[in-house]
Amino acid sequence: MFKFISPSNVYILIQKLIKFINSIFFLFLVVGLTFALVLSPPDYIQGDTVRIMYVHVPSAWLGLACFSFITILSIFNFIFKIKNFYFINKSIAPIGLLFTCLAIVTGSLWGQPTWGTWWAWDARLTSMLVLMLFYVFYILVLKLIKNEQLLIKISSIVAIVGSINLPIIKYSVEWWSTLHQPASIKITGSSTIHSTMLLPLLAMLFVFLLYAALIFLMKYKTEIIRIKKKNIKRI
Amino acid sequence: MITEFILMNGYGLYIWLSFSIVFVSCAIVYYKTKKTLKKYEKEFLVELESLSVVDKKKALKTSKVAQQILATNSKIN
Repeated sequence: MFKFISPSNVYILIQKLIKFINSIFFLFLVVGLTFALVLSPPDYIQGDTVRIMYVHVPSAWLGLACFSFITILSIFNFIFKIKNFYFINKSIAPIGLLFTCLAIVTGSLWGQPTWGTWWAWDARLTSMLVLMLFYVFYILVLKLIKNEQLLIKISSIVAIVGSINLPIIKYSVEWWSTLHQPASIKITGSSTIHSTMLLPLLAMLFVFLLYAALIFLMKYKTEIIRIKKKNIKRI
Repeated sequence: MITEFILMNGYGLYIWLSFSIVFVSCAIVYYKTKKTLKKYEKEFLVELESLSVVDKKKALKTSKVAQQILATNSKIN
């Protein structure tokens, strides 16, 4: 059923995609940065600190998206026993950890001039910290457990348990009184962000997505080579 | 005008530090990922070269990945 995503079949496609992303990345990065640092207006309350949003929000979204993806693939892995999903998860996890850490650090740098504190144990910040810990735990499991069957089982359990935290992060600003502002962009319902800020945010999100895709493809390619290297004597 | 842009109305330190941390971290991860990929490609080639001619031919015939790595590497060299 999932033969089309077997490492051998996707290897050539991965190489082409890496080349393609490498060729367009800097152009989009320059466009995104120009929008974020020059063209977008300062906020009427927060002033220029709002520009931190253009790196903070995409980082947070990608941190959440990566863990959601890991969870979905872990569930699929439990049902269909497709080893390839484990290798995909192994390639995604460090990217998710990177972006979650960046969201926490840039959030802290945004919090100091806006709230007057680097950190507060409020629901959104704490739940993001919990997500980071789940990433660390997940990666540690991948690194420390040598038995493959046990590794797939435990890593899937960690991902599925960790996914309970995802709706908590999303709705923390609605369920509890937090320092963190509620969501300005809603998929269902009207967004409260002006288009002059939404456009730079989407541009930077696209740049971050390109970067995440590039790292994922390089990591996944490394995994494929690692597996093939192990099997080369058996060919 | 440049000074205004750098100072960002007094918030320059927070803004530039945020952007710098993001881009330096991303650059480090990119560099490390690329280095690991190259290392594994090299190791794979060494392993391939260590095979006998018959086994090497068999490996190249059956493995698309081996073909690609060899092709990419011969282009570089």
